[in-house]
Amino acid sequence: MSITDSLVAFIAVIGTLIVAFFVSFWLPGIERRFHARIQQRIGPPLSTPGIMAPIKFFFKEVINPNSPMPGVYNALPIIGLIITIFLLMITMPQLYVLAAFTSVIALVGLLKVEEILYMFMGSLSQSVLSLKMPFPDIVKGAKYPGVSRSFVEELSSMRAFRLIAFGSFPIYIAIFVTVVIAKSIYIGDIVSYQQIHGPILFSLAGILGAIVFFIGFMILLNEYPFAILKTKADVIEGPLLEYAAKYRAYVYISRGFLIFVLASIFATLFLGIPPNILSWTILINIAVTLVFTMIMATVSTFSPIFTFKQFYPLVAGVSMIGILAIIASFL
Amino acid sequence: MDEDNKVTKKQVIETEVPLGTVHSAAIEPYRVRLFVEDEIVKDAEITVGVNHRGVERIMEGLPVEKANSLTEKICGICSNSHIWNSVLVAEKALGIEVPERALYIRIIMEELERLHSHMLYLAHGSEVLGHETFAMRVFYIRETVMELLRMIGGNRVQYGVPIIGGIRPRAELDQMRIQKIKDGMDFVEEKITEFAERFVSDPMVMSRITGVGILKKEDAIRLSATGPTLRATGVDIDLRRDMPEYDSFEFNVITHDDGDVKSNLLVRVLEIPESIKIIRQAIDHLPEGKITNRSWEMEDAPVTKNYIEVPRGKLYHSYSLDDGRVRNVIVRTPSITNIGAMEYACIGYHITDAQLAIVQCDPCFTCTDRAIQIIQI
Repeated sequence: MSITDSLVAFIAVIGTLIVAFFVSFWLPGIERRFHARIQQRIGPPLSTPGIMAPIKFFFKEVINPNSPMPGVYNALPIIGLIITIFLLMITMPQLYVLAAFTSVIALVGLLKVEEILYMFMGSLSQSVLSLKMPFPDIVKGAKYPGVSRSFVEELSSMRAFRLIAFGSFPIYIAIFVTVVIAKSIYIGDIVSYQQIHGPILFSLAGILGAIVFFIGFMILLNEYPFAILKTKADVIEGPLLEYAAKYRAYVYISRGFLIFVLASIFATLFLGIPPNILSWTILINIAVTLVFTMIMATVSTFSPIFTFKQFYPLVAGVSMIGILAIIASFL
Repeated sequence: MDEDNKVTKKQVIETEVPLGTVHSAAIEPYRVRLFVEDEIVKDAEITVGVNHRGVERIMEGLPVEKANSLTEKICGICSNSHIWNSVLVAEKALGIEVPERALYIRIIMEELERLHSHMLYLAHGSEVLGHETFAMRVFYIRETVMELLRMIGGNRVQYGVPIIGGIRPRAELDQMRIQKIKDGMDFVEEKITEFAERFVSDPMVMSRITGVGILKKEDAIRLSATGPTLRATGVDIDLRRDMPEYDSFEFNVITHDDGDVKSNLLVRVLEIPESIKIIRQAIDHLPEGKITNRSWEMEDAPVTKNYIEVPRGKLYHSYSLDDGRVRNVIVRTPSITNIGAMEYACIGYHITDAQLAIVQCDPCFTCTDRAIQIIQI
């Protein structure tokens, strides 16, 4: 690779990231507007949830959370953002030369780290909402005076642990479908396969895999109805509860960016169109992102929050569809 | 637990999850201690009293008209119920006859308030479920009722309609207002029927609320649950059947047998058409005549009690009259017993369902927060 090629590749990677960030700033706003329109409300301005709110948060006073390790706790959203950037980078064609880095294994590994972050966030946060009353519970007679207190974030942390164990099955099964069809774990090969044979999405296995991927996409984003990690009915916002000022801004930006990245992964694996600023096909990536955002908003608007009672059978059912997709991919 | 609330049998529960006093799933301040094992609630403790205002204490010695007006401030949802019951106590104590037209308009107000209260419950229940769209939809329908209340009472929260001997002149219903109420009822009936059909046919919502927060019939009776919460366990009790004010009206008492969140929601949903039925009867047979009886004199009276059926159950007011001023005021709201019952309803369910199980009784904490037992240390 010549220096010129390297320079072009570098510019392409940076350019794609900039475009991705720019698009992702609007995605939370589009999602919220969809919610609002379905609920016959006006909703917030398109730019508010994704970019204006984070900008505002950057100028707020930083309040250190009640955490045993506030530094680590505050660093986690930034780590999450960096991981999301890496996730997008490994789908970019300019980096396919880094073979091991741009494989499905790396993709799965980074997604796992993204999931684990919620566990750390939950276990490192202690909001005032879980504090005991300053006086003994004499009114009711204090049924159990000696019990240990659990913070709502700890509860979220435990849930994140469970989600790592089973909640992310669907998205990994869906990714595996493309591996089976293309007979390679390298993203470059999966893309090349589709350039020759057409998009995986337009096969039976691809359709089933896409459905499973979408469910996994929503679970990974903790979106309704899969928001058990931050359900309002008990843990409120769970791991993210104590983030304030610029750290909350990172959380917001990361989420918007993750929507774009996961949709881009879908476009890469199921349509064979990686995000690339040097090609007009990046418009397809953006279109897929918008479609995903709209479908996600519609699904979440018509759903209550699931508890594990609903979560287990649904994930099991979706995983079964995923396995069917794998079987179909062998045919 | 023995009579003094002391632990008699030692139980070991390792983890407590305290929720509140400020919590997003609770629109009012209260605190729940959930004793959990693996996210399953093993025991619960609900503490109220954060907003204690001592309304009864403030009422002591006030002229009865002022005291009645103050009872309306006890609650923002069932304000009419409080002032109506308080006025009824005075009328009972002084033997005042109320003109029939005023009685009918009071009934219309009470049923409108029941409508808005039940719809608020449905909306809040949907929010706790995480289904904001349903909540928004119900708020949209409820808005019509709120506007009707504003039209009659001049205010959306504190209407101030009943006074001793009748109703305030501003609450008189002319033909334009009657037509608006009729149109409003048609709208609410149509929309709430559509909503109910959509609600019960949603498998995901049904999955969240069926078999959750079950309160057994025996437990509900033992714990003195009241109102729709009691009726949702299969007990066929509605005080409106025994209230002389409701003698002229026909309506069905809605009961459901399961005692879970679904039953509580359905009982209230199905009570909405019954309230509309009562309002229509009142409008159609609204007697002519005056709306206030002013020919009464203030006298001293012993403690007089009165119960009425309000949206959440049985409401009790009592006071005595001494030189035109109220004494020995006691107010007992339905939520105080219903909330106590919910301590049992959330046991055995997932912690996310616990809030749902608690709010299934439609708790009103501003009402309840006057009734505090203070134990000296």
